[in-house]
Amino acid sequence: MATQDPNKQFDQVDWEEINNSSGTSYSINALGTLVSIGAVLALVVYDILFVEQYTPTFAFVGWGYDVSQLDFLFAVSLIVFGFYGVLPLYQNKRMTRYYWRQFKKNRPALVSLVWLGFVFVVGILGPVFISAPEVALFQKYQPPAFMSIANNYPINCVGPVVDGACQGTLNHPFGTTRNGKDIFTMIVYGMQISMKIAFITTLIVITIGTAVGTTAAYAGGLIDEVLMRWVDIQQSFPTFILYLLILYIWGGGLFLFIVLFGLFAWEGTARYTRSNALSKVEEEYIKAVQLSGASTYRIVRRHVVPNTASSIITNVTLLIPVFILAEAQLAFLGLGDSTVPSWGQLISIGRNDLGFAPWITLAPGFVLFLTILAFNFLGDALLDALNPEANTESEG
Amino acid sequence: MSSEPPLLEVTDLRTTFSTDDGAVTAVDGVDFTVDDGQTVCIVGESGSGKTVATESVSRIIKSPPGQIEGSIRFRGREVTEMSEGELQSARGSNIAHIFQNPQDALNHCYTVGWQIMEAMQIHRDISEEAARERGIELLSEVGVANAAARFDDYPHEFSGGQKQRVMIAMALVTNPELLIADEPTTALDVTVQAEILSLLDRLQQEYEMGVLFVTHDLGVVAEIADHVVVMYAGKVMERGDVYEIFEDPSHPYTQALLECLPGQSKAVEGIGGSLPSVINPPDGCRFAPRCDHAVSACHSGDHPPEYEVDGDHKASCIYYGPGYDQSVVGGSGGKQGGGVADD
Repeated sequence: MATQDPNKQFDQVDWEEINNSSGTSYSINALGTLVSIGAVLALVVYDILFVEQYTPTFAFVGWGYDVSQLDFLFAVSLIVFGFYGVLPLYQNKRMTRYYWRQFKKNRPALVSLVWLGFVFVVGILGPVFISAPEVALFQKYQPPAFMSIANNYPINCVGPVVDGACQGTLNHPFGTTRNGKDIFTMIVYGMQISMKIAFITTLIVITIGTAVGTTAAYAGGLIDEVLMRWVDIQQSFPTFILYLLILYIWGGGLFLFIVLFGLFAWEGTARYTRSNALSKVEEEYIKAVQLSGASTYRIVRRHVVPNTASSIITNVTLLIPVFILAEAQLAFLGLGDSTVPSWGQLISIGRNDLGFAPWITLAPGFVLFLTILAFNFLGDALLDALNPEANTESEG
Repeated sequence: MSSEPPLLEVTDLRTTFSTDDGAVTAVDGVDFTVDDGQTVCIVGESGSGKTVATESVSRIIKSPPGQIEGSIRFRGREVTEMSEGELQSARGSNIAHIFQNPQDALNHCYTVGWQIMEAMQIHRDISEEAARERGIELLSEVGVANAAARFDDYPHEFSGGQKQRVMIAMALVTNPELLIADEPTTALDVTVQAEILSLLDRLQQEYEMGVLFVTHDLGVVAEIADHVVVMYAGKVMERGDVYEIFEDPSHPYTQALLECLPGQSKAVEGIGGSLPSVINPPDGCRFAPRCDHAVSACHSGDHPPEYEVDGDHKASCIYYGPGYDQSVVGGSGGKQGGGVADD
């Protein structure tokens, strides 16, 4: 059946002809990433060289938004995510459908995905359409919609006053703070902060963790030893104290937090990746590519990394909530960036007013809680969908 | 013959692995040659060093712990002295491999088409379309039905035999001069085995490749080999033309192996005992502890050198040396009469 025609001759390949027909081509993913990041870099250079310090970057088109370092970093991580996270799903529809079928089975994860999608979209677009929360002292302590507060707290009650209690209105659906800032708006702005934390740290952690982990596993020997001891050293290093140190000496902000905690958080991922990659490196298909003459870079990049990707993705998904929580904790302790309206910042603002205006703390706290929960559900579902053999170890 | 240097010439190959218990000499002073268009079979039971010997040829042995000594000349070039870069360009383009377990030798993350194209692109600067076209052609030529449609399927959608065909297609993309096949049919069922063997046979003739074929299956050897090297515990026991080996097995080990073949009139008998320790091999002949004909001289000194039985047919058994009567072990010095594998 299979060897249909035993007399059929192989024609010798005319490599001359084929070679002439070719050229080294880059994948659309690599090309797209390079071009987009190039554009971002050009903008960075333009911002540094040609735009004066306090002039908005896009002043030339009349947009009064000054792009910060963090925004540039965020743009880069979104580009990488788009070309290496989302585009492959589209390019490989069959596998996407398969993963989606697996993923769909997990209802909480589905809801989580919708929530995170909502946070992502609103976080990105919200600040473009909603103007930043402003101090309005006369409108302080407005209660959330459908709630009320004794009328002596707000100076001007926006809603009706019934029986000496100020009623909440939809103008301020989640109420206002001590300064009269709208909590809903602040939460929307906080969404962007959380997404920045999630995406940028993920990019840093995945890049370094994967590179170190797979290189150590594949190279073995001395390289493995050196890299893993470095991981040991860094893991025992107190990042928090370094953060405080830099904060006190040079001052710092969200940028410092994200970069520092990203650069000091890949050790676990590297270790995890290495242990996963170690078993893959022993597989026969790795030997097969070695024997087909592939370079070390190609073997690691094209064969070891994709085979460990599923475990890296799930590992990092479960790492994101840790970062968001860490930022919230630092902000709550007053060590965060007071210039950015992160959820942790908002929770800390409401701390003193907890007795009579609990929504200032509870509203962002609840959103934070939902987001952390969603990431955890998502991580679990991804583990099931991408990495079925890990099920047994994760249950327990 | 041509003035070109021989395809593959292995002399005194010694591959050792350092372990916590001491050095393991998996291959201990093995010689063999493969000429263009020739199929050389390395036969032996599990653990006799066949696979390590072939892996040494393309230097895929991890070092450390592995260490390769001796000389491996491919077209006159010394493989043991090649740089990593030279090795990479030789692997896949001049020397291709197929494996025992096609299930594991394909990366399940990618379609088979992608992997065939990759094998091409590693060595040639070739456009996506040309590689695809050539890949589909190859796939249909190794006998995968409906190749164009199956090109974008994943390995798990192929059967074991089809995967081995894919592996063969991948091995052939660069017209290699030497194909190393490490038990390529062991994981397949008998009917598929026969198909793969006849495919390999056909391809070898069309490509004029030398084939180094490793197997423990004497049935397979009889089918495809030109020349046979019998290995045991890292040593070559006997070598010769395939007819000589089957008609006139001279070394007691070869005879015992052939007796293990089913389908003869007498009951199948295994070889008593098991492989000697590779860390502390016994003195004298490696096979002596399990040999029916062993005399005291077999248990001392070094492993016996290769004595000529008849022309290129050699056995490393003391009975073929001076002062012994080779008829004791059934050797007939070229005359018909060993008779173990008579049809």
